[in-house]
Amino acid sequence: MKSHISIQDVNAFYGDHQALRNITVEIPQKQVTAIIGPSGCGKSTLLKCLNRLIDLTDGASVSGKIIVDGINVLNGSIDVTDVRRKMGLLPQKPNPLPMSIYDNIAYGPKLHGKPGKKEMDEIVEKYLKISGLWEEVKDRLKSPANKLSIGQQQRLCLARGLAVEPDIILCDEPTSALDPVSSQHIEQQLLKLKTNYTIVIVTHNIHQAMRLADYVIHLYLGELVEHGHANEVFENPKEERTRAYINGTFSIDLKIDSEANLKGKMCPFNFVYAKQALHNLEDGKILKIIVDDPTAVTEVPRGMEADGHKVLIVKEINKTDWEIVIQK
Amino acid sequence: MDKLIEERIFKILMVVSLGIVVGSLFMVIAVIIWNGAPSLSISMITQTPKGGYYLGKEGGILNAIMGSLYLAFGSVILAFIISLPAALSLQKDYIGKTRLAYYIRLSLDVLWGTPSIVYGAFGFIVMLYFGMRASLLGGIIVLTILQLPIMIRSMEEVIKLVPYELKEASYTLGATRFETTFGVVMRQALPGIFTAVILAFGRGIGDAASVLFTAGYTDSLPRSLLDPVASLPLAVFFQLGTPFPEVQRRAYASALILLLIVLTLSIVSRYLSRKFTKNIIR
Ligand SMILES: Nc1ncnc2c1ncn2[C@@H]1O[C@H](COP(=O)(O)OP(=O)(O)OP(=O)(O)O)[C@@H](O)[C@H]1O
Ligand SMILES: [Mg+2]
Repeated sequence: MKSHISIQDVNAFYGDHQALRNITVEIPQKQVTAIIGPSGCGKSTLLKCLNRLIDLTDGASVSGKIIVDGINVLNGSIDVTDVRRKMGLLPQKPNPLPMSIYDNIAYGPKLHGKPGKKEMDEIVEKYLKISGLWEEVKDRLKSPANKLSIGQQQRLCLARGLAVEPDIILCDEPTSALDPVSSQHIEQQLLKLKTNYTIVIVTHNIHQAMRLADYVIHLYLGELVEHGHANEVFENPKEERTRAYINGTFSIDLKIDSEANLKGKMCPFNFVYAKQALHNLEDGKILKIIVDDPTAVTEVPRGMEADGHKVLIVKEINKTDWEIVIQK
Repeated sequence: MDKLIEERIFKILMVVSLGIVVGSLFMVIAVIIWNGAPSLSISMITQTPKGGYYLGKEGGILNAIMGSLYLAFGSVILAFIISLPAALSLQKDYIGKTRLAYYIRLSLDVLWGTPSIVYGAFGFIVMLYFGMRASLLGGIIVLTILQLPIMIRSMEEVIKLVPYELKEASYTLGATRFETTFGVVMRQALPGIFTAVILAFGRGIGDAASVLFTAGYTDSLPRSLLDPVASLPLAVFFQLGTPFPEVQRRAYASALILLLIVLTLSIVSRYLSRKFTKNIIR
């Protein structure tokens, strides 16, 4: 594992309130790193330290080192616009700029060089394609970005961030404002992008972290509780607090309306059976299925969310079996 | 039951106050049209006063119309050039949170509330000191000062309303403060900035007291910035002051022209600012 971002002994304060305590961790290159932890534990703060967006918060101060490509980004004397260029940010709520779709993408490249018209057209097309938006907007590039759906706006923001050619993509709960289909769209794009980019994603959604992450950082009350490869952290956390957090987000008491045991069934049959079982239920009712096919653990929830159902729980119940709870 | 009464009382209050607002606007316009329209003629707006105009003879008030337009446009342009950077620098990204900004806002608010005759008197004294006589330039400068607080404070308010996420988006793309201000903040605030300009224009063109000593009054059109210049509010004032009913009616016609200018401008600006709003993020 090659490290891309080296966070060394970082402390962050808002006034007297310490939001991050002695954080030291390496973020691997060209992988997806998920930052998980309960609300208020400092996830967004850590992200804001990486691209120095925290400078814009009144009364905030940061100490320590964050080394990216041999440069300490926390060093006060470096050009902060260079730091930010290296890192695209995908916010929680899509924030298109008050201009056309085209100009939203062109805004960044225009700041950092003056590409000609033809070159710019190519840039816009390229990044809209990468973010999977091109087909939907290619005929109305000049129309206002605010007319796009929320999901489309988020992909626009992704394209806009990529257009300044960063090496790193930072995402702060990028799908929490989106519907399941749009969320899945974004997740798919991120998975594709990790071959070329280092991705850091803050998420409240453990299933999302499981689906996306190669590496996991667990924060709790501003402290680094645990970090490591995703499968180790999720399957066998070293720290009790991590185990509690991961289980805690699962153990919601639910009234299960129907159950289906799909053990021994392979993909995509388990998916088909699950769909059939859901079909017989009314809207809002809850179905629990048990699967033992490892690919089903990721594919079934993804397919269900794509169909507009809500996946509430994905939980390992023993060495081989998983429980998936879906709300129609 | 109590709730119902509350609701009813509030409803009555709303209707009454809306009635007063709409009613007084309607009455002002009606009275001016009623008294002014009959005297409104082509010669009123195409001729300067001939000898004996104020006795009810030939001529028009082209001098005052043109004078007011020169004064208002001149001062609005000048005020805009000063106000925009001032309002932008009052953002929290610049000096917005400092003590200096606090005092600037305070003094602008005091200036906003200051009666315009005070500006006029101040302008007069300064001009005396420099040995200047009443002139278009003097009028423009005093009107500019009169408009600054309105323009800066209203611009600042709309700039403050620009969502912070928009600025953040720009910063994360590696934009500087300057690039963010002109690339994003200005675009988002444009309709509001427009409104601020119109507001200031309205105050500038309608003010009599500040131009009384500083721009003077004359029956001819100004040939240079240093010539004295007439204005519509003063035209109304002087004509209303004559003992002749015919001339007094012309005062209403002048007021009507003033009203029409302001109305045209706000309609045009509404239309233009709607064109700007299509990209705005809500
Ligand atoms: N601008 C600010 N001023 C003061 N305190 C802040 C500010 N922003 C965050 N904090 C505090 O810092 C701590 C960490 O906040 P942060 O936003 O990083 O949490 P988070 O893990 O992202 O939470 P969430 O999951 O709810 O987004 C919290 O206790 C929060 O109250
Ligand atoms: Mg957060």
